[in-house]
Amino acid sequence: MNQGDALPTLADKPVIERVATRPVEETYRSPAEWVRKNLFPSPFNSFLTVAFGLFVLLTVRGLLNFVFSEERGWDAVRTNLRLIFTHAYPEEQYVRVWVCVGVMVALAGLSLGLFAARGDGVPLRKISNALVAAAVAVAVGVVLREPSVLIGADGEVVRTDDAVVRQSFADAMSDRWGWWLTAAVLAVIALGLRRVPALGDGSLRTIQAFNLAAIALALPVLSAWIYPWGHYAFAEGEFIAEPGRTVAISTKLPWTVMWVLAVASLLVGRWVRSRIGEQSLSRLRIAVNLVWLAVPFVLYWVVLRDPDLDWARITQVDVPLALAFGVAGGIVLWWLTSDGIGELGRIAALALLGLAAFNWLAAFMGWYPMLQKVRISFLLLAVVALLAHNFSGETQKRRRLLAAWLAIMAVFHYFATIMNTPSTVETPTEALIGGFAVTLVVAVFTLMLSFPLGVLLALARTSRLPIFRVMATSYIEVVRGVPLITILIFFVVILPLFLPANMEISLFASATLGYTLFSAAYLAENVRGGLQSIRRGQYEASDAVGLSTSLRTTFVILPQALRASIPPLVGQVIATFKETSLLAIIGVFDILRMANSVIPAQTQFLGIKREGLLFVSLVYWVFAYTLSKWSQRLERRLGVGER
Amino acid sequence: MSDERGAGETASLGTLGARPPFYRDATVVKWLSQVVGLVLVLLGLFFLASQAQNNLEERDIATGYDFLGTALGSDLGSGIDTNPDTSGRALWAGMVNTIRLAIAGIALATILGVLVGVGRLSRNWIVSRTSSVFVETLRNIPLLVQIILIFVVIASLPRVTTDQGPIHGWLHVSNTGVSIPRVTIGDGFYQWIIFVIAGAALGRWAMRRQERRHDLTGQQTYPWLSFAGVVLAFAAVGWFAHPALGWVGAIFDAIASGIDALTPPIVQVVISLLAIAAAVQWIRRFLASHRTPAGLTKLIDDDWFRIIFAGAGAVLVILFVTLGWPGLSSWVINSGRDLFEVIADKFGDGRTGSPIAAYRPDIEQLGNFPNYGPAGLNLIQALAAVYFGVVLYTAAFIAEVVRGGILAVPKGQSEAAQALGLRRTTMLRRVILPQAFRVILPPLGNQYLNLTKNTSLAIAIGYSDVVQVGQTVYNQTGKTLEVVSIWMLFYLACSLTISVVVNFFNVRMRIVER
Repeated sequence: MNQGDALPTLADKPVIERVATRPVEETYRSPAEWVRKNLFPSPFNSFLTVAFGLFVLLTVRGLLNFVFSEERGWDAVRTNLRLIFTHAYPEEQYVRVWVCVGVMVALAGLSLGLFAARGDGVPLRKISNALVAAAVAVAVGVVLREPSVLIGADGEVVRTDDAVVRQSFADAMSDRWGWWLTAAVLAVIALGLRRVPALGDGSLRTIQAFNLAAIALALPVLSAWIYPWGHYAFAEGEFIAEPGRTVAISTKLPWTVMWVLAVASLLVGRWVRSRIGEQSLSRLRIAVNLVWLAVPFVLYWVVLRDPDLDWARITQVDVPLALAFGVAGGIVLWWLTSDGIGELGRIAALALLGLAAFNWLAAFMGWYPMLQKVRISFLLLAVVALLAHNFSGETQKRRRLLAAWLAIMAVFHYFATIMNTPSTVETPTEALIGGFAVTLVVAVFTLMLSFPLGVLLALARTSRLPIFRVMATSYIEVVRGVPLITILIFFVVILPLFLPANMEISLFASATLGYTLFSAAYLAENVRGGLQSIRRGQYEASDAVGLSTSLRTTFVILPQALRASIPPLVGQVIATFKETSLLAIIGVFDILRMANSVIPAQTQFLGIKREGLLFVSLVYWVFAYTLSKWSQRLERRLGVGER
Repeated sequence: MSDERGAGETASLGTLGARPPFYRDATVVKWLSQVVGLVLVLLGLFFLASQAQNNLEERDIATGYDFLGTALGSDLGSGIDTNPDTSGRALWAGMVNTIRLAIAGIALATILGVLVGVGRLSRNWIVSRTSSVFVETLRNIPLLVQIILIFVVIASLPRVTTDQGPIHGWLHVSNTGVSIPRVTIGDGFYQWIIFVIAGAALGRWAMRRQERRHDLTGQQTYPWLSFAGVVLAFAAVGWFAHPALGWVGAIFDAIASGIDALTPPIVQVVISLLAIAAAVQWIRRFLASHRTPAGLTKLIDDDWFRIIFAGAGAVLVILFVTLGWPGLSSWVINSGRDLFEVIADKFGDGRTGSPIAAYRPDIEQLGNFPNYGPAGLNLIQALAAVYFGVVLYTAAFIAEVVRGGILAVPKGQSEAAQALGLRRTTMLRRVILPQAFRVILPPLGNQYLNLTKNTSLAIAIGYSDVVQVGQTVYNQTGKTLEVVSIWMLFYLACSLTISVVVNFFNVRMRIVER
């Protein structure tokens, strides 16, 4: 080849990069060679292969026998699907749950469209191989599973002295024609994929990961239109299973809408991304991230709870209060950021902090009454005032601070009002939601609340302020030294003792508080790892350009430290998600409690536990496994430790 | 807010221009903000404590640890004492159950985890695939779900029959749990163990000698083999000769009476002196680390804080021992005496039986249904569920730790070993594993901590560990605060013990740097 032609021009660059990152095609080996090299390289390894092969076959056989046994009560799971996921949320209000799911799905699709890069696509060959493997697995499974038991005319299993009667092997194999057909269809699709012609640049030989995911998600949605999943109703204080009606009646349409929503929002995200410039794209991304932060609160307190707003009180008290704080605080902040205020500004901010602290002291001593949100507003004002000197000078900066303050007040007063309004949704149990929904809600709130706390603790632990360091260290070490269950019991059983007599706290709130304080200690250790990876030069450089401690921490140290600690932080997310199963012990009706206590107590499904527990394991596994795979990809992409 | 420059720099800046007002002085702001923060935290705690006191008085609940001495109205499922006289005894039995569970769990989880971790790196396709599936399945399902699932699966197994399997007489599995052979301390164990200790001391000396010879001459001298030979010889002789050591008990009796002769003030003085010595030692080391050839470096206020903190710690210990809890010293005397008396009891007095006893599981039929007899080691349903749940879950994490540790050894190390002509086994033993072990140890210690804490999930299926017993106790006595404090102290002590042990090995394994 001519040397000159091989030199890449600027226009070729993306192609070259793509070629370079694509893995080198493995040299082809015959199956016999592969087996010899990977299964029987030495006598000892041959023994291992045989032993492990037998072990795997027996395990798979046992699992298949259990799952497909005629005596299994899988009806208990599929009839109770709605119970498992949302507990007793009233059926006539169920559209609210679908709205929540829809908002999350649409946001996820939009974020994917805006953030994710188009990959190289998945080679059809790889999909074809996976399909062949699936077909082989189905066929092997059909042969492995023991023959079915015979069912008599009365619908009961036929028994002779303690043992069940089974079909002959040949009957069993021919009875499972549906499974044989499945395997055959899979194999045919796989072989068909290999025949797809390579067009020009080979674009047809791969399929975009997004399209693959869309097809994969379409399959379960389609199944709801075909397969009769179960259904339950809540009548006279008891859950009644209705095997005739299936949950598919009420879910196939919503799930189809969700699928369309996901695909549409993804396409919209991509379209927007291709149309707008770099700067507006990054602004849009920030906006989407902020929406993500607000969404859990809005969905839980507004959509699911449907607060019964008292408009008279809102117009007379809440709105004027928010306006007053917005305007008065804005004037104070405008004054604090004006030129030449100097020392006076700091003293004024400190005085505000003192006033805020005094309000709490007065509340404890009972000197004068005050709305709780007024006290918090004062505290917020003091905190913003303390940071105000960073924004003094240019009018644009001052305007931004003012806008931020107004936004803080609007958001805070809105949520304070919403949270203090009683719900209109009536559920037969004390809690609004249960099942997997409560697992997700507790996990999400725990993470959102413990993240800032964890970062603060990590900063305190690594700071040069010894008293703060000692306090943070002892808190972290004590919390990490004791099991979560003791902390949860502490918050659920003992916390009411520590509260003022007229104050009550719900089980949900105290459990979330316990999880938050527990999780914060672990998060702090992860963030500390990131903080310690920051080189000294970063601190010295920020000192050299004259940044104050707060500016240095916010704009130089933390961004780098958090980036470095993303992989362990995702690990912490997975851990928190798994730990939510402990809610069952302290009496919350979460997904584990559904499977372990609620379903086995239904008259139709008395004592059926194993099936439900297996299903719960599967749900947890799917979520945790997906997250951990994603975090591994993230780790590779960030290249932590390779820089 | 607070600028973090040292006091020295601020002073030198001050000489350049006018001194800033006191509320802008870095050192003042730094300490003032900390003191204010501390006061706020203390005020908050004080407020919560006073609320708790009010609430407790309103509900007529007295605080204090008197309930530990009162009777507990219920039995425990299993443990050293299934029918405890007092709540304190019940909690102690629960602690022993937790500790047993933790130690046995750590042992099995380590073995299984190392096997799976090495298996994941195996060149054998089916071995590595099976190990991956094991790890990815177990660590992505919450432990609590696994424990409850195992519990439910055991409950659905067949009932005990007189010809129980899978291996009759060795391994019995049924809905009551699992029964396996039991190996316990026999009659003359303590007399025999003295022989073994003496053998170990002598064996160590022999090993050192062989090592020196190897270093001097280059001959292959098998030092570990000589160590094992000496220990085994002593153990074999001791197996038959141990009754001759019955007199050792008198030594421990003498120590016990010696401790009993101490008076509380003496113990208080000794503990105080120890605290002072520890503080002085710490401060001296700290100062030594700040000494340079040019003299002591300038101490900033943070360094002074550390020194004062160490001194204050010693003073606090002294105050606690003398004023805070004067009963502590007599408690130390009493338990020290009791400990040595218990040890002394293990010797003499016709202890002539074999040191180690082993029993095979049996099945006995007392009523209508056969059940496991007392000979074997019976893991009842709840215990088996917690044990296997915790072991499998932790093994999955240990496997990942081991895999990471082995992968962390640079490839050049094994290539260099091959270039030197080392055999594969020698390379693993002498080059790869020692380096991998250094990486593995800290996260392994973390997993041991997690395992110990995770045994607390036994509460979900009613195995009487310390948390479950504690729940029974506070349900009956209403002393939630006290029980939770006992839990926390117990688990903190466990964590501390494991950290100390792991740290000991960590320091020993560390690369010696100049």
